[in-house]
Order: sequence, then structure tokens, then C-alpha cells
Amino acid sequence: MTSSPDTLCRHCLLRVGRRGFTRSVNGEDCQFCCYGCCIAYQVKSGSGDASEAAWFLVRLGAGSFLSMNIMLFSLLVYSGAFTGADRQVLPTIHLLLWALATPAVLILGEPFLRETWSQARRGRLTSSALIVLGSLAAYVYSTLAVFHFGGHLYFDTASMVLMLFTLGRYLEAAGRARASRDLAPLLAAESELATVVEGVHEHRRPVREVCAGMLVRVRPGERIPVDGLIVEGRSHTDEAVITGESRQVAKAVGAAVLAGSINLDGPLLIRSSGSGGDTRWAQICRSVREALKQSSRTQRIADRLVGAFVPIVLALAALTLIYWAQRQPLDQAMLTALAVLVVACPCAVGLAAPMAHSLGIGQLARHGCLVRSPGALEALASTRLIAFDKTGTLTLGRPRLVDLAIDGVGEEEVLARAAGLERHSEHGLAHAVAMAASARGLDPIVAEDVQVVPGRGLLGVVQGEFIAAGSAALMSELGWQLPPVLAERAAEMASTGHSIVFIGWRENARAGRVRAALSFDDTPLPEAAAIIEALRNLGLRVALLSGDHAGAATRVAATVGVDEWQAGLLPESKRAALDLYRVRYGTIAMVGDGLNDGPGLAFADVGIAVGSATDLARETADLVLPKDGLWLLPWVVGRARAVRSTILANLAWAFGYNLIALTCAVLGLLQPILAAAVMAGSSLLVVLNSLRLERLPGPSYTRALPSSAAEQAQRRDLALLKVES
Amino acid sequence: MTYYPLLFLAGFAGSFHCIGMCGGFACALGPDGRGAGATSLRHVLYNTGRLSTYCFLGALAGALGQVICTSLIPGAQRQAPLLSASLDVGQRALAVTAGLLMIIMALRFFGIQGWHRVTGGFGSSTLVLSLRSLLGRRGFAAPLALGVLNGFLPCPLVYAMIAQAASTFNALSGCLTMAAFGLGTFPAMLAMGGIGRLLAPSWRQRGVRLAGSFILALGLVTLSRGIMPMMGHNMHHLWPAA
Repeated sequence: MTSSPDTLCRHCLLRVGRRGFTRSVNGEDCQFCCYGCCIAYQVKSGSGDASEAAWFLVRLGAGSFLSMNIMLFSLLVYSGAFTGADRQVLPTIHLLLWALATPAVLILGEPFLRETWSQARRGRLTSSALIVLGSLAAYVYSTLAVFHFGGHLYFDTASMVLMLFTLGRYLEAAGRARASRDLAPLLAAESELATVVEGVHEHRRPVREVCAGMLVRVRPGERIPVDGLIVEGRSHTDEAVITGESRQVAKAVGAAVLAGSINLDGPLLIRSSGSGGDTRWAQICRSVREALKQSSRTQRIADRLVGAFVPIVLALAALTLIYWAQRQPLDQAMLTALAVLVVACPCAVGLAAPMAHSLGIGQLARHGCLVRSPGALEALASTRLIAFDKTGTLTLGRPRLVDLAIDGVGEEEVLARAAGLERHSEHGLAHAVAMAASARGLDPIVAEDVQVVPGRGLLGVVQGEFIAAGSAALMSELGWQLPPVLAERAAEMASTGHSIVFIGWRENARAGRVRAALSFDDTPLPEAAAIIEALRNLGLRVALLSGDHAGAATRVAATVGVDEWQAGLLPESKRAALDLYRVRYGTIAMVGDGLNDGPGLAFADVGIAVGSATDLARETADLVLPKDGLWLLPWVVGRARAVRSTILANLAWAFGYNLIALTCAVLGLLQPILAAAVMAGSSLLVVLNSLRLERLPGPSYTRALPSSAAEQAQRRDLALLKVES
Repeated sequence: MTYYPLLFLAGFAGSFHCIGMCGGFACALGPDGRGAGATSLRHVLYNTGRLSTYCFLGALAGALGQVICTSLIPGAQRQAPLLSASLDVGQRALAVTAGLLMIIMALRFFGIQGWHRVTGGFGSSTLVLSLRSLLGRRGFAAPLALGVLNGFLPCPLVYAMIAQAASTFNALSGCLTMAAFGLGTFPAMLAMGGIGRLLAPSWRQRGVRLAGSFILALGLVTLSRGIMPMMGHNMHHLWPAA
């Protein structure tokens, strides 16, 4: 009957927790976190032949039928329909009520009784014990009243309390399931079926059984189950789960598609490029599942309070009974104590945090942002300072040529030679040279015998002459002279934080010399300034902790507008800086690329990795943004804050409501049926308040396309260079 | 007492509306393999379930009306509406609210949409879908459960009638209001089960209009009971609690 507390409920995808139980549905063992989820799941998954699902509805329907009739007759009795001449039918009505109430209590109360019993055997009291105790007390008293001593009957209380709680749990479960709607496609990577085409046959297979090279058919509207290339068909896809941008991307034969994206409008045949279990989608799925299994501190505190609540309420009910029994008839006192039991059921408190978490995590994940744990979300909400771990986080990571100093040669010759040489390199600067050459319409001069000197540069032969491109150190190792003009210009360039590459070659077999200095710069992200501005509008301070030299850090800091920056920091001094910030600002977050800044990210309260290339399972960051997804950060912070304020409002509401209602009940101002309705209403309000998170807007896509922006910037700079020279 | 027959008629006219939504259930409940007797029993059980939900809601609404009135004006209890010519403030406020609600619902029958969130209930579509799982089930508990749950499905007609029940300020009258209305829907719904197919759309449209007119008239009368004190005097032979 029991299950591990870390598994997720089949219906609402929240942690099963300690109250969880296993039920077999349609021949499959399913874990549920509560009875409500069990009913709701069976109701939802009920197909015509699923007799168990129908049985649940029959139970609910028949229980409602009985308790509604009890209520109806009781109402008529209370409102005086059977007074005067009709008085002699009263005993018959009482018998009828008993006959209706007995099956009603059995049918509706059984699940609560079962839960109480299974928990009691493990020495725990849960809130269902309160419900069971309350309704059984009312039932037993009324039964005795019918057959022995007469008086008021409370069958309506017994059955209506049970029915209202059943209804409340059902509504709760329906709400929670709606909250987890965003999560379902993310968790589907584990259970989704792919249509594999083998010759003329098509088979439905679990995604994890799909291997590289298999052909997979994807119909319009379906989710693409594997990474691969399109073999046949054309369509548009939505890759929001992976990239965070919800927009249509046109795909034709030969285009690559990502697992988890939605095939919008055309049938596709895809050749899988890898195993179905290794896609980023599958990794996201595992990561989200892990996150949902964690619980935050707020939630743990709430759970502990709820645990302590039940015995206190039992004691309080007993005291209430004793107190009122001395002043009122026993049945009145019992009714008051019963209201205490019923109204204290802390269902809403247990619901306050998990639902908001699952909504938050689900929505972030749908836009490609992964959260490690609900705790990280709450920490991000209370963060007051965001530090960027390195300059590279705020730049495109694609250097471009910004300046060119020459000594006795033509610019175009330098670029053409350099481009020919750098063609053989994968280095970022090499790419920048090639871009600059092609922007001027230059054909690279073919270089031969190219060799890479690690950390220094490149050597090669162009037109029979020895040529070298690289650092000043490389040039002095070669014994090549650096003309004072170039040295001066180079020092100037370096002082503004640019990277310098020298180019030199031999001419007419004479000794080589340095002939030009190229200056490169990494462009800040086009949207970086807007992102920082948005973060500051959220009341956050933004800092830059860079390991680069001061020039580069200063320039980036000035361009994007951070509040404070420190440059040339070693990892240890970064830690010291973070410590200082933590003293000053409390909770702090750190943004990095997740590649080689793991320790820094782990040290901050919230580590945020952008476009992590590493395996998500080994990722140390608490929050992973998609590649090129820094623009999502302000939205993510806003989301985290919304989640946190929803949780706080829920807790304040649930506790406040319970305390006020409890006070009323102790004072004898609350009827038990009303108390049950009030509690069901409280749960429903918490559910509805959490569902408000659904209505917050998604991220608005404001980012300029990085590649085109970089190219434009490069062209503009080169045009300037031309004018100047 | 022409009041309850009037409601019965409203229910009867309204049942042409019911056929659209609930008629599907009645049709699909279909014949029972064990003969005509069993088939009839299935359908009677289904409709009894529906009726009991309606009665329950009616009694609840009536009792609620009573509680609201007596709590607003503690002195004005049961005898007041029957004896005095005018209604007290609480009853009038309730009558106005109920009347307005009914008029809004009635306008929906004529295709005037507005405030439609009220009837588009929370998670009701899930319930509708799942109710279908009960249809094919054997035994007599399933049709009963189907009827009971069906009674809770959001329906403007039922809401209007509940508003009417609340404005009777009495549990018994509320219950009887809904009972009369519910019984009014019996003939059509039972016939649906027997005939087993839906009525032509044009007829359903006419029925819906008719139902709308009834509700509109009832709403206007209820509203006027709240607004004009004289009405209560003239019509208290017609209205049970007024």
C-alpha cells in the first residue's frame, strides 16, 4: 500500500510524500499522493472498459445521492416541515435517515478510514484521522439516538462532512493536475512512443528504444521524439522546450530537428541521429523530475507544522467537548467539538507550496529554463544581487576585428595573408580574421605547411615566404623585430582591453619582421544592456566579477551598465568578493557559462548557467538557461518572485483561515457541515490562487539574432576602418 | 397554486435544451439487454438521480434564502411573508438578485452571451468526459450515479431555477420548486431514452426559445416582487412563500 515518498503522484505530478499510496489502475500500479488524486486520475483516465474508474464514479455518485437525500430530509425536519399534524411520521423519517446514512458513511468514509488506519499502524496521525473521528462520532451518536434515547440526529453532519471532504479533495486534485499540465510534455520524454518506420511497417516504440539511424515518422501536432535530420517532408517546428523561444522555425529536407520540439503543420520523416534516451529533451525530463522530488525549506516547515497540528487539534477538541458538556446538552457539546475537528483539517497548508512550485518549474522548463530544486526558485526570488562570473557571459563570445595597425605594407595584403594562414586554425580570432577579409571581398592567399604553436599563434609559408601570426612572445622567439610605431599602437590597443595579434613575414629571403598588429574585441551581447536594465528595474544590483584584465572588464561593464565590477580576479578572490557581497546583500546569485566556472556557481546561493554544454546531470548550477538564453533571466526572476509571493500568500491564507475558523469552532459559532464547507473552500481558494500563476505572461522575445547582429557590427567597424585609413 | 405547474411547464420546455447536453447521456444509456423492464428501470434511475440532485440544490438554496432573510431581520421570521402584504428588505434583495440572475440566464437562451464564465465551470469538461465511462456499465447503481453527477453539470437552466428556489426563502418550497422543474424535464428525457435519437435541431431551437421565455417571465416576476411591494400582495395566492 505504501510507496517511496520521493516518487511523483501519477495524477498531479507532485511528490507523493508520506501520505502516498499505490492503487492499481487498468492493471498498472500507480502512485498517488492523496485520495483526491486517485479519484481524479481514475475519472480522467476512464475509458468505457475501465471498470475501476467507473467504480470510483459510482461510489462518488451513490455516496452523493445518499448524503444529498439525508441532507434534504434533515433540512425539511429543521425547517419545520414535520410539525403539527405530520409529527407522527418523524420516527419513520429518522429510520429512513439511518438507513440512508449507514451506506453513505461506509461508501464515502472507507478511503479516509483506510488512510487513517495505514498511517496509524506506522504511528502517525494524519488529517484524515480528524475527519474519520468527526464523522464516526456524529454517526454513532445519531444511531444511538434513533434506537435508544431519541433526540436530535446528526446523520446529515456525518455524511455531508465526508462528502464535502471528498469533493474538496477531488477539486484540489483537479486543480493540481491542471497546474502540472505544463510539466506533462516535459516528463513525456520517458514514456512517449515514437512511430518507427521499418520498411513498409510502422511500429510504436518507447522513445528510449530508438537508436541512431532509425527512421521515425512524426505527424503534425506531435512532439518530435528524437534528434535527427529530416529525410522527407517540410514543416514548421516550435523549439521552445529547448531554446526558450516560442516561434515557428521553417524546416525542410536535410534540416536538423530537436527532440521535444513540436511539429506544427506537416508530416515529417526523420532519421534519428542518436539514441532516444540521450537527447537534451530526455535530459531535461530527468532534471525536471529530480527537481520535483525535492522539497523546499518553506514546504518542509509547513509539513512539520501540519504534523504537529493534528495531535494539538485532537487535544483541543477534547477540551472543547469537556468545557461545553458542562454548560450545554451533550449533543450540542459534541457538535462543537466535531466542528473543531473538522475545521482544523490542514489540507490547504500542505498544498500551499508544492502546487506553486510545480507551476513555476513547469512554466520555466517549457521555455527551456531548468530549475534544480524548488529551493533554488525560492532563493532566486529573495536574491538581491546578481553577479556575472565572467566577461564572456555578457559578450557574444565571438571576437571581431576592430583595429588594424600597419607598418610599410598594405592593409589588404595583411588581411589576405592572415586569412590564408588562419584558415587552418579553429581559434575564435581566426574566424574573426576570415570574416574581416571576406567583408572586404578579399580572397585569402593560400598558405602551406601551417603549424599551430599552442598558446602562441601560427606559423606557415605563403608564396614561398615564411609567415607568422601570434603574440608578441612568438615574434620575439622568432627574433623578429617589432617596429616602434607598431609597438606604440599595440600598447594603445591593449590598454583599452583588446586582444592583439601580430603578423610578420620574411620578404626576399631577408630576415622577417613584424608588419602589422590586429586588434580584436568581443562584442557585448546586443541585448546585454537591456537585460541589465531590466534586472535593475527589478530592484537587483548587478555586479561583474571578471578574471579578464581590467581593460576588457571595464569596457564591457561600461557598455552594459553594471553597478560595480572587479577585474583580474582569481577563483579564490572571486569567492572572497562573493563573501563580501553576501554580507552586504544577503542572498546572491551568480551567472556563468557553466563550463569552467562550476566552483563559483556552486558557491553562490543560486548558480545560474547559460547555455550549458555539459551533461545536465552533472551540471552544478541551480538554474540552467538555454543557449543564448540570457535574455530570459529577468523573466525568470519575475517568475520566481511570483511563485514565492503566491506561496507566502497561500500559507498566510491557509494558516490564518484555519486559526480564525478554529477559534470560531471552539467558541461554538460554527456548524460542523459549515466547517467542512469552509475547509473545502479554503483548499479551493489555495488552488485557485496558485493557478493565477498560469495567467502571468510568458517571456517576450526581444533578442536580436546574435549572428546577424555580430556581422552587422563587424561590417560597420570595418567601414569605419576604411574611412579612417 | 398555479406556481408549481408553471415550473413544471418551464422544465418541460427547457428539456428541449437539456436534450442538447444531457440527452446525449440518456440516448447513450440506451436499452438494457435484459428487456424493456430493465431498460425503463435504468432510465427511471438515471432521472431519479438527476431529480434528487435538483431537489437537494433547491432545498439548499431555499434554506440559504431563509437563513439570509432571518439573519438580516431577526424579527421577521416565517410568518412575516405570508401575513404582511410587503416583503422585508432581505427577501426583497434576494428576490432582486435571483430575478436578475434568471434574466441573465434567460438572455443566454436567446443567444445573448455575456458573463459566460459563470456557467463554464471549473473542470466540468473532465467530468463530462468521465461520466461517459459510466454509460456502458451494468447494474443499477451506475445509472443512478450518472444521474446524480449529471445534475451537478453546469447548466444555465438549473442555475436560473436555483435562483428561483432561493427566492422562495424556504427549504421545502425550494425543494418543491426544483422538483417541479425536474419532473418537467422527465417526459422529454424519458422519451429520449425510449426513442434513442436526438430531436431535429429546428425543434430544439424552438424549445430553447420557449424555455428562455419562461425563464425570462419568471425572472421578471421575481424581480418585480423585489422591486414592487404591491406585487407581493396581489400574487401571494400564486407564490407559495410570498
